[in-house]
Amino acid sequence: MGVDLDALRERTEQAIARVRGAGSQAELGQARELVLELRNARLYPELLRLAEAISRREPGNARNRRLYAQALIEQGCVTVAIDVLKPLASRLPRTDPEQAEAAGLLGRAYKQIFFDAGDKTADAAREALKQAIAIYRKPFEKDAANTWHGVNLLALLARARRLGLRVAPELEPARVAKDVIARLEAVAPEARDEWHLPTLAEASLGLNDWSAVEAALKGYVADEKAQAFMIASTLRQFTQVWDIEAVDERGRALADILRARLLQVSGGQIELTPKSLQRARAQGEPPAGQLEAVLGQLGSKTWKWWKIGLDRAASVCSVRTKVGDRMGTGWLVRAGSLNLAPADGLLVVTNFHVVNAQGAHNGITPESAEVVFEAADANKTYAIQEIVWSSPPDRHDCTVLRLAEPVAGIQPLPLGKALPLVDATAHVYLIGHPGGRDLAFSMQDNALLDHEGPPNGKPAIEGVCRVHYRAPTEGGSSGSPVFNAALWEVIALHHSGGKLGMPRLNGQEGTYAANEGIWVQSIVAAMAAG
Amino acid sequence: MPHVTFIHGIANKPPADDLLAIWRRTLAEAAEPLPLGDLGVTSSLVYWADLMYEMPDMDLAAHEGVLENTPQAIDAGGGAELPVAANERERKFIAAMRARLTSMSDAEIDAAAASHAPAPAGTGGAGALERVPLPWFLKKPLMSVLLRDVHHYLFDIEFGPPGKAPVRIQQRIRKRFVEALAAPGITGPHVVVSHSMGTVIAYDCLKRVAACPKVDGLITIGSPLGLDEIQDQMQPGWSRDDGFPKERVSDRWFNLFDRLDPVCGFDPSLENDYRRGGQRAVLDQAVGNTGAWRHSASKYLRQPGFVQALRSLLKV
Repeated sequence: MGVDLDALRERTEQAIARVRGAGSQAELGQARELVLELRNARLYPELLRLAEAISRREPGNARNRRLYAQALIEQGCVTVAIDVLKPLASRLPRTDPEQAEAAGLLGRAYKQIFFDAGDKTADAAREALKQAIAIYRKPFEKDAANTWHGVNLLALLARARRLGLRVAPELEPARVAKDVIARLEAVAPEARDEWHLPTLAEASLGLNDWSAVEAALKGYVADEKAQAFMIASTLRQFTQVWDIEAVDERGRALADILRARLLQVSGGQIELTPKSLQRARAQGEPPAGQLEAVLGQLGSKTWKWWKIGLDRAASVCSVRTKVGDRMGTGWLVRAGSLNLAPADGLLVVTNFHVVNAQGAHNGITPESAEVVFEAADANKTYAIQEIVWSSPPDRHDCTVLRLAEPVAGIQPLPLGKALPLVDATAHVYLIGHPGGRDLAFSMQDNALLDHEGPPNGKPAIEGVCRVHYRAPTEGGSSGSPVFNAALWEVIALHHSGGKLGMPRLNGQEGTYAANEGIWVQSIVAAMAAG
Repeated sequence: MPHVTFIHGIANKPPADDLLAIWRRTLAEAAEPLPLGDLGVTSSLVYWADLMYEMPDMDLAAHEGVLENTPQAIDAGGGAELPVAANERERKFIAAMRARLTSMSDAEIDAAAASHAPAPAGTGGAGALERVPLPWFLKKPLMSVLLRDVHHYLFDIEFGPPGKAPVRIQQRIRKRFVEALAAPGITGPHVVVSHSMGTVIAYDCLKRVAACPKVDGLITIGSPLGLDEIQDQMQPGWSRDDGFPKERVSDRWFNLFDRLDPVCGFDPSLENDYRRGGQRAVLDQAVGNTGAWRHSASKYLRQPGFVQALRSLLKV
């Protein structure tokens, strides 16, 4: 299982208080290590606060400044990070390992500016690319053992060449790729770190050697203990930097294989635009042997599971105001699944606090709401005909809507009959439209924490069965369907959470960080009871 | 809520929790997935390998039903010695069971095992093991394990592996089975899934042990219950016309077999031998496992026919 994020956040608060106060040197040392833990757990807002507190006590602490800068990049404050990293890289002696780290991160910052640019040929983007290449080039040319810098140099060169940008014309990408691979192969097997295979995979891309890419990927992507952050990092690099999906069918299939596997591993999360979701749904089975080459014998099953998940995402809609403000998420269900007639009619389920008759609880009225199935047709809006059933936020927080016109070509979501058993390995998936990122579907793995269903649950509110789960990063979107892991059946309606302070279930003392959903079968039972 | 009680078969096994996890994972990863946890189905395992073997087998990968290269991977791990008959009845049983497995003499088996030569596939010998295209250095320990475990259970031998106090094997395993079925909190539908020698234990308890609780359904996979030698030992209790354990199994009994599974021998079908009131009641189903070793529990669990049978009994 992953890191206990609650405990980590709590330790961070305590550490900040100690560092700001009269914390001892030992406590300061502990705080420094905690910064690294926060980086590994990707808790960047917390990292920024703690690193700031440490910087006030130890302005010369290079590692702290470097991690501070990394968090700034991750939070989108790239130019600020450059202002932190530039003086850091120039003041540190070249013999200090932090110097290379700071320089590498500076390269990453420029790289980010390039990739964030809408027009890659604009002056600012070209200048950023030039800077990034120059920065990665230095440490690699000084010592080819800096393969991380080498592979970044390679990726940027390859991208620049494809875009027709004349940057560092004297460098030949294939030569860099061969140098990186030769250096990697020279590392004794016992001395290879966790980034050995990802670097090898990327360097092999530079030689267009797909078999070598897939063989290297298999070494860590198909592993039973595959780490989400490793796969996510490879996927980001392959799609954003190498743009493999623009290359050919094999590249597109490989990106989807990585996405499928990422979603499957604990803590995995992917975001897809409606367009990319449509493309992924239309994507056929990868070329013969590719699935097995990357994922081994589970490849075919993983692919099938992934495709079902994509189909489920197509049945998830955005609930918004008629002027286009997104209020939450909804999903299509067959009326018969809710014991309503006509059984084959299709209805939309969302939260009461998203749509309700009075527009209460910061929701909107059905008259001012519309829904859009963005993966099917982002331009097609459906008005609401009526509220079929609703239950307020302190009970099921559910509203069932009948649309003003029939929905065609979109499959309703199946409902699971039972809740998963709660054990250390249990997890669930959310699909929704998270706030703040327009037109994105988020598919995310959540650890199942607890629920009030059978066999041991004790519902605190009669007739309402709550389910708790935890996302690796953020809470879900109101009204999202919560699925069981293997079958993609809806088990709950997501309605709140993602923050600290959620009271525990089943009479247990205390609070924790959790998302909360309502078991769909307790909603179905409440509807039957009137 | 639905519950599955699994019971394993011959040979040494991984620790109980690991074996249960392997089987649950196998079901969840089947071509037609049956993720018990996701479906709210609880499960438990009747574990008895610790009564026969000194230490659990820690080579967990061998039990995933993929490899066929070690004794553990073909249900032959544990290093059992061939059983020694204490009387004429036992001697006859061991000889008859052995004849089911092979027509080769001990010396021929020893010689074949020593050469490490691969056995030719489908040689069509007189015994079930001769049809298995695996080398004899793997099949020899299998025969020992199979005969020893079956013999010790059916004849309730007092036995203890090194370092453990001897116990009466049948009595102790029966007790564990009955206690597992009676565990608090189990509601229904309750289904027993048994493999190999576990099918004999499950049947024995459900048909012949008065204290055994009732269950809803029974599934047997890779079962030797079709062999006359086993049926003879199920008396009193068993009869061809009334062999179905109707006293304690209220729903259906599915029996899955692979015709090349040597443990089922040449009598894999059970419908004719375990009738209910003279009527055929067992739902036999032939499946095709992969590879040379067809008896693997994991291979049976992955079969769509198995998943469909278990789903229908559990009503999920």
